[in-house]
Amino acid sequence: MRRTAFITIPALVCALLASMACAAALGPTGISFGSLISLPNAWTIIWDVRMPRVIAAALVGCALAVAGTAMQGLFRNPMADPHIIGTSSGGALGATLAIVLFAGAGRPVFAFAGAMTATFIVYFIARRGGKIPVETLLLSGVALSTLLSALLSFLMYTAGQSLHQIMFWLMGGLWNVSWDDVFVALPILVGCAGIYLFARDVNILSLSEEDATHLGVNVEWLKRILLALSAFVAGIAVAVAGSIGFIGLITPHVMRLIVGPDHRLLLPAAALAGAILLVWSDTLTRTFTNDMPVGIVTACFGAPFFIYLLRSRMKA
Amino acid sequence: MKPIEIIDIDVSYGAKKILEAITFHADAGEILGVIGPNGSGKTTLLKAMSRVVARDSGEILLDSRNLDTLGHRELARQVAVVPQDISIGFDYTVRDIVMMGRHPYIGRLASETLRDVEICDRAMHLANVAHLAGMSIHDISGGERQRVLIARALAQEPKILLLDEATSNLDVCHQVEILNIIRDLAGKITVVSVFHDLNLAAYYCDRLLLLKDRKVYATGAPEEVLTYEKIREIFGMETLVKPHPLTGKPYILPVYAHQAGVGTNLRVHVVCGGGTGSDILHLLHAAGFTVTCGVLNVLDTDYETAMHLGLPCVAEPPFHGITPGSLSNLREYLDDADAIVVTAMPIGRGNLDNLRVLLDYPAKPVLFYARDHSTRMEDYTGGEAGAVLTELVARGALRVEGAEGLLARLSRGGLR
Repeated sequence: MRRTAFITIPALVCALLASMACAAALGPTGISFGSLISLPNAWTIIWDVRMPRVIAAALVGCALAVAGTAMQGLFRNPMADPHIIGTSSGGALGATLAIVLFAGAGRPVFAFAGAMTATFIVYFIARRGGKIPVETLLLSGVALSTLLSALLSFLMYTAGQSLHQIMFWLMGGLWNVSWDDVFVALPILVGCAGIYLFARDVNILSLSEEDATHLGVNVEWLKRILLALSAFVAGIAVAVAGSIGFIGLITPHVMRLIVGPDHRLLLPAAALAGAILLVWSDTLTRTFTNDMPVGIVTACFGAPFFIYLLRSRMKA
Repeated sequence: MKPIEIIDIDVSYGAKKILEAITFHADAGEILGVIGPNGSGKTTLLKAMSRVVARDSGEILLDSRNLDTLGHRELARQVAVVPQDISIGFDYTVRDIVMMGRHPYIGRLASETLRDVEICDRAMHLANVAHLAGMSIHDISGGERQRVLIARALAQEPKILLLDEATSNLDVCHQVEILNIIRDLAGKITVVSVFHDLNLAAYYCDRLLLLKDRKVYATGAPEEVLTYEKIREIFGMETLVKPHPLTGKPYILPVYAHQAGVGTNLRVHVVCGGGTGSDILHLLHAAGFTVTCGVLNVLDTDYETAMHLGLPCVAEPPFHGITPGSLSNLREYLDDADAIVVTAMPIGRGNLDNLRVLLDYPAKPVLFYARDHSTRMEDYTGGEAGAVLTELVARGALRVEGAEGLLARLSRGGLR
């Protein structure tokens, strides 16, 4: 482990707490410390409107970043994220079904079920003789995502009045998040802790599967566990906040540059950074852009960065 | 109790058989080399031994325990593998990579202890990479990276070390450096290594396992396995197999067969002795000439080479002069020969007739073969041999230097 470890993690924890405090203080209604006492609604706004939203943003950001980090280690491919194994498109289709069929009732449940189902379909397509070759897994992920997108387009085409609702959900956002949603999102922490238990194994797996076998890693079992846990946390994230892109892709990259590739350090660093990133993105949109879907904000920052990464990889 | 024992294993990829009925063992502390042509299943054999590849049937025993009963981590504590090279996607340091060798010893909830750090330090020291510990695995050379992989394998504290052509991507000085490290480990660790280079295999291994067409063709000490016949049979290549001047182990010189066939229908008689003709006997034979030789004494190196190659040879008992009977046999060979090659042999009373008889064949092309420009015939006859040589040269006999030069001269028909 590098020396930066002992500075980076505490620094990120402080930054996250500060970000969450700031985020709770910022919003379309200006609230000062003084008004907390004088304004009767101020406490309600902070506690019942902003706090759940800030906490949910932190949890979702954390989930996306951790799932992205795990996927990149698992696929030994720095361009991987939960989208790549169909998790996001499965979640999107599930949520859309709920909106079209039940006017949005049970949407988080449908989204989560969709995300998990899609991931397992991809897994079973790619499986051959008890093994899942990474290339096949990637390709079947792409293929299934395309199919699911087509189904999604069909649903939107026939959706009529609820098209607006679907569109909003697809762009990803955290409006209307309540304390209930925070409780729904809490298992993300369990999933992330689960992934962290395999940090050392992911380090070794990022060399090569054969090498990992030589070093005593049960590779096929590890792949299954990581896929399941990543789909679990990403599925919850999708259920709570819709599909928010680029956090899962970019956070691991930035953190790898700062703390190095050791997943024992990288995973917590990415988790914290992902949380900070989404808390601020969400705060920006609800404070300054009249609650535009946060997916637009992350994509606006994320896509240029992704292009920059691509270009610098081409040079190297 | 054998450290590793392979009993009648079959391995296939899909419908394709890769290994059939393989049975062998390694003795404790030895270096066992696995050799064989491409596609003979060497790498697959190693993969079966590290359980990366499943086998169809048969058993592998580690210290008499069935390989299949060991857990992944237990196996990694017993058997370590050094691959040919690995591409490492992320920017780990050398120490990070070596510490990964401790993975099978560190519990899921634990982190590395001081003891693990010490073992890594020792492994890096043994593999001569301690000075690189803090460097990125991407910033070091191929030879250094290979040594890092050895250090990682040593950090596993294995009983058995498997090397899959661990040095074949390296230049010769790095190959030797790494194999010397491995040699020093032997005795403490049992090593099974796939080799491409037969000479390195002969030099470094206690025993060799030769694979051919999915099966074990031979096992034994290098000098039993690496014989001229076996190499020709397995690799389809002509070679000179000689004892290594320092170790006495077999040393193989390939005879690059691009001249094969040039000598078809040509008969060459070689007058040689004292080991001066062995290489060209091999060479001419390999190039397709019909070769005869003599008169030689039994036990002469050249005589043994001729017998080894199955060449017709006129011979006398050891330290015996040339008898009239032999001389007439020699004349028969000379009558049939299209060309005569005389090597730079020492000439004494005993073999002077070998030269003198050539004076009776003024029409035959005679070539004096010298290994290089400094080669001279040693005359122990007080000048008589020198006079014969001068006479032969006056009649048009040519001096040819180097085996390639000789082949070129002969294949041009000879000759004058």
